Amino acid sequence: MDVYLQQLPQQLINGLTLGGVYALIAIGYTMVYGILFMLNFAHGEIYMIGGFAGWWVLHLLSVNSQPVMNAALIISLMIIAAMAVSGLLGVLVERFAYRPLRQAPRINLLLSALGVSIFLQNLVLNFQGAKPRFFHVMSLVPENIRVIEVGNTVFSFMRILVIVVSFVLMGLLTYAIKKTKTGKAMRATAQDIEAATFMGIDTDRIIVYVFLIGSALGGAAGTLVGLLFTQVDYYVGFQAGLKGFTAAVLGGIGNISGAMLGGIILGLTEALATTFFPSAYKDVVAFTILIIVLIFRPWGLMGEKIPEKV
Amino acid sequence: MPNDYWLRIYGITGIYIMLSLGLNVVAGFAGLLDLAYVAFFGIGGYTFALLSSNHFNIHLPFLIVLPIAAIVTMGFGFALGATSIRLSGDYLAIATLAFAQIFRLLLINLDRPIDITGGVNGIYNFDPIHILGIKIVSPESYAYLIWFSALIVVIGCFRLKNSRYGRGWNAIREDELAAQVLGVNITWMKLKAFAGGALIAGGTGAFFASFQDSVFPNNFDFPQLVIVYCMVILGGLGNILGVVLGAVLLSVLPEFLREYGAYRMMSYGLILIVLMALRPQGLLGTIGFLTKTKKRPDKDETGILRASTDLYYEGAQETECKRAETGKHCKGDHVVLELKGVSMNFGGVTAVNNLHFHLFEREILSIIGPNGAGKSTVFNLISGIYKPDKGSILYKGSELAGLKPHRVLKAGIARTFQNLRLFNKMTVLDNAKVAQFHRTKSGPFSILLHLPRYKKEEAECERYAKEVLGRFGRRLTGYRLEQEAMFLSYANRRRLEIARALSTKAKVLMLDEPSAGMNPQETFEITDFIKQLRDDYGYTILLIEHKLNLVRKISDRVIVLDYGRKIAEGSYEDVASNTQVIEAYLGRKGH
Repeated sequence: MDVYLQQLPQQLINGLTLGGVYALIAIGYTMVYGILFMLNFAHGEIYMIGGFAGWWVLHLLSVNSQPVMNAALIISLMIIAAMAVSGLLGVLVERFAYRPLRQAPRINLLLSALGVSIFLQNLVLNFQGAKPRFFHVMSLVPENIRVIEVGNTVFSFMRILVIVVSFVLMGLLTYAIKKTKTGKAMRATAQDIEAATFMGIDTDRIIVYVFLIGSALGGAAGTLVGLLFTQVDYYVGFQAGLKGFTAAVLGGIGNISGAMLGGIILGLTEALATTFFPSAYKDVVAFTILIIVLIFRPWGLMGEKIPEKV
Repeated sequence: MPNDYWLRIYGITGIYIMLSLGLNVVAGFAGLLDLAYVAFFGIGGYTFALLSSNHFNIHLPFLIVLPIAAIVTMGFGFALGATSIRLSGDYLAIATLAFAQIFRLLLINLDRPIDITGGVNGIYNFDPIHILGIKIVSPESYAYLIWFSALIVVIGCFRLKNSRYGRGWNAIREDELAAQVLGVNITWMKLKAFAGGALIAGGTGAFFASFQDSVFPNNFDFPQLVIVYCMVILGGLGNILGVVLGAVLLSVLPEFLREYGAYRMMSYGLILIVLMALRPQGLLGTIGFLTKTKKRPDKDETGILRASTDLYYEGAQETECKRAETGKHCKGDHVVLELKGVSMNFGGVTAVNNLHFHLFEREILSIIGPNGAGKSTVFNLISGIYKPDKGSILYKGSELAGLKPHRVLKAGIARTFQNLRLFNKMTVLDNAKVAQFHRTKSGPFSILLHLPRYKKEEAECERYAKEVLGRFGRRLTGYRLEQEAMFLSYANRRRLEIARALSTKAKVLMLDEPSAGMNPQETFEITDFIKQLRDDYGYTILLIEHKLNLVRKISDRVIVLDYGRKIAEGSYEDVASNTQVIEAYLGRKGH
């Protein structure tokens, strides 16, 4: 028991780190679902491509695995590039794969999203290869293994960075949604898309913003994970997508704060589970939570049950 | 004889045909998006691997392993299908996807502590298949065996589609709620759809394992699922021949495009995107291949365009307008339906407030009241769509409250919907036939083997459906029988809604605004018709109506609801002069 208690702070940090990342991915799913009632299956691949974008920036700004400028600057550029690339990709996907299906039955949208996911995954596989790309984090932050050591807990720089960046981004998003006019328009569109058009909101443009922001956050998550686990490959999107989706559903799909909460809870649960279960089965934790939530409380922790008028 | 290479391609094509047909049952017929389908394929394959090899040293013959694999997989199908009871659409897709991932994880990791699945390396070197003394080893013999089984699966699928199972699944796919209310046990049917797909996938898995002489976890992973979905969608979801065509195309075409093999999966993704945007119904989509090519009724061999009125009178001989002896039924003294203290709240809004009333045998009782008074909610409570918060609903002495809609129908109460819930893409005849779902009993065996018992039941079902449709004159008969419900005129759609309820052979009919949107002529007709239903056929009728002249003409008694409470009851004259009622409709007289 003592052993577990000693590991607790460490796992808490790990959990928060993972949680921040899952939350960023979950936000993308939940924002799109809130307005279009569709599950953007391809979101996981957008996250993955964000990771690749970050890697490319690092690669281009390094010679022989040594960075040519200030590490902080490089990392900032990586995150910004990832957000830009993913955001743009999200907008393109919406424009060409989802917008034509605006009036179609939901099953068509889901299948199209499936198609986009497969397409993007294999696009990267074909043009970037199957081998993982490594982030030479060691040279970026030489003493990144430990910055603070408190008792048995090791706070790695990267983890702190990931936690800080993800929470900052979430904070910015919350501010934007609650205080800006566009944010208000987004909330209105999510509540009743028809009424929003009657109020003079250009819902097509709002939808573009939603995809832009959700995808950008996913892309940021991709690069952060790349820095954290030092690698990215064409397949990470699939797994991360499912986890992000689990977080979104857990928190209440359509609810942005729910997505953040769900992400953090999922991250903590997964970290705690790895102390007790063999790590090969750690993914089972997320999938089991998903199935249980979907069957017993599909509207999640913060969602609302919507009755159907007969 | 083509060389071994192509024979192998034929073999794999046959496997994909069967696999796609299985997916077509669960996703095409029943409309359930099952993303764990390929895991069933895997269960079948691994079952064969474990029972016919040196892995555990079990060496059962193929003719025994095949049914075992299929049935074991079907069991898993039932289990997974249980998730579909609560979930639908996107959520079901994700839940099944999660299961598929768990399956994959198990396959990879269950090689310690005991080696069950062989882990990443899979299992290989199986016993060869012996059927009736013939050893199946060469690609040629495999091709014959596989295509023979594929043919059997195709025939089975056609038989299922044209049976009460096919109609029930179609109804569920079109409108789950309406299907329930018409007697389809949606829980069981969804389970059976999963199980049916799993059965086929499991059997196919056994064939595949033997054919490849090995099974690996990545044979049953996500890319494989996408391939099968592509085949089904490309051919046309729900269309059996389309699915076969899709499977053939996507098995054979990549062989000609081998040099671009690296882009294969990417293309599948692109195919899905483009298909959904431009032609979601796939290649053969709504074109029935073996269904009778419908001659356009307004054009015949002479080439002259005929008027619709001619067509109208044409089907005259097809209609057996069997009229029972006129007017032999009237209101009885026996109470068949009783509501006691029924209340229903929707999150703070009281829709129905402590409602009491009786319905006598063979009575025509009308419920009237301003909009929002709770009339349709009362119907929903009786038919089992909602469970009352308080009170009880007794039908012939037994409690109805809390029963599922299909059980209420089975007990003998049918209803129509205010906003019409027809099965739009099903034909008029099928709409009427599916209403008899709960009165027919044929199971998969009778259907697949076309046993005499099944044929008799189908014939009777069709006869009765045509008879019921014939009661509306010639409007729903003749060439209209094969027309899809969405193409009917509005008044005919309302008539079909009633015809469907009649087809259930229920004794009590609840009609929710049957004349809504009809012009005076049509309203006149339907009023007469409803009266006839009681006078000639002895139905008990509960009616919601806004057209008070209709109500006055045919009701034995009238109940008035306002804000969920009963404010008046009695004959039409009593109720019409009641001040509370007048106030509810017209407001209070000013002074």
